[in-house]
Amino acid sequence: MAVQQPDSLTPSATVPQFLRGAELVKQGAEARVYRTQFLGRPTIVKERFSKRYRHVALDEKLTRRRTVQEVRSILRCRRAGIPAPAVYFVDYTSHCIFLEEILRSSTVRDHIASTQQSELEQLAQQVGQILAKMHDEDVIHGDLTTSNMLLRRSPEDRGSDLVLIDFGLSYISALPEDKGVDLYVLEKAFLSTHPHTEALFQKLLKSYSASSKKSSAVLKKLDEVRLRGRKRSMVG
Amino acid sequence: MNLTQELELFPDHTVTQMLFKEVKNAAELRQSAVDGRINGALINPTMLVNPFQVLVAANKAVHLQLIGKMKTRSLNSEIIFNLSPTNNISEAFKRFGTSDGDESVMLVVVHCKNESQLLEDIAAQVDGRQVPVEDVSWLSDLAKIRKLFKVAPQEETCGTLLDAVVCRMAIKDVM
Repeated sequence: MAVQQPDSLTPSATVPQFLRGAELVKQGAEARVYRTQFLGRPTIVKERFSKRYRHVALDEKLTRRRTVQEVRSILRCRRAGIPAPAVYFVDYTSHCIFLEEILRSSTVRDHIASTQQSELEQLAQQVGQILAKMHDEDVIHGDLTTSNMLLRRSPEDRGSDLVLIDFGLSYISALPEDKGVDLYVLEKAFLSTHPHTEALFQKLLKSYSASSKKSSAVLKKLDEVRLRGRKRSMVG
Repeated sequence: MNLTQELELFPDHTVTQMLFKEVKNAAELRQSAVDGRINGALINPTMLVNPFQVLVAANKAVHLQLIGKMKTRSLNSEIIFNLSPTNNISEAFKRFGTSDGDESVMLVVVHCKNESQLLEDIAAQVDGRQVPVEDVSWLSDLAKIRKLFKVAPQEETCGTLLDAVVCRMAIKDVM
């Protein structure tokens, strides 16, 4: 027995309608992020919207692919023990992902901006470690910035752990080249957002190197990428 | 006792869960469900970690029903199917649906807001003792669940077993 929806509401419009009552947290180039309650839990909803300048069929395909890649990468990371928000529900008709809200957290970006550099060593080490783990799983994040990393305080105040978010541009690759570019993207974002933190980033890379089994090839590629310029993977 | 949650995305749909122990007529109930005489999903509670996963399964089922994309033939069977980490329907029914000899049953009903009579009528068909739904965690066969969902110890360092289960339920159609 299906309970009828009011005629004005087509099935694919239920989520967008629902989101009108939710709190908009961020509007990005590709998606809007909302906070709300879902099945009794604090939830983040990531809504990828259509890009009008794209051809309709291509837009649909691309948006769907990004949504799928995002959730696949999240599961892949979690399987390896890399913290990422749990996925509760995916609506492929409106391209919305319902994710666990990471409570008691702030972005690494905000944390760095409000903390003395001398106290950021442990953070640099943690970031290096988590990225090493991710790359060892052959997950390329694709959009590494300090805004896409959350620092979550533990309830008993026993330190904090990192949670990676925003896997929309992520993909699977074993190539050191792709991992090198991933780190390069982070480096550019890091140094432009947080001035005079070159030494801190070096510590991050050192931690990465110590934690990853395949790091030397990746760091070598990072050097090469730096020499040749922005985001360019010369493969393919 | 019961656990009721309105589906935020589908406000005319409410999900009520009822848990029973010392069930004597599991075989009869299962047959009634198959024949469509019970309008509820009969679930094996030993495969559940937490009532939240039932809500996730029910939400997805209602969503797919409304867009005409269910994989099974009814809303209730779709709820059971959604609980499974695989896309094999008969396997899902076998593992997550009530079996003839089961001594405990989780009954899940999707209904409109205030249908206490309907719920009472359905509950009356179960020959067993009703217990609080939260007790389901005492019935969970964690080892079996970890094995079926292929959850390695490292995954439980970054989240709960419930998170691992719910993720797989939510993503299985594209994995």
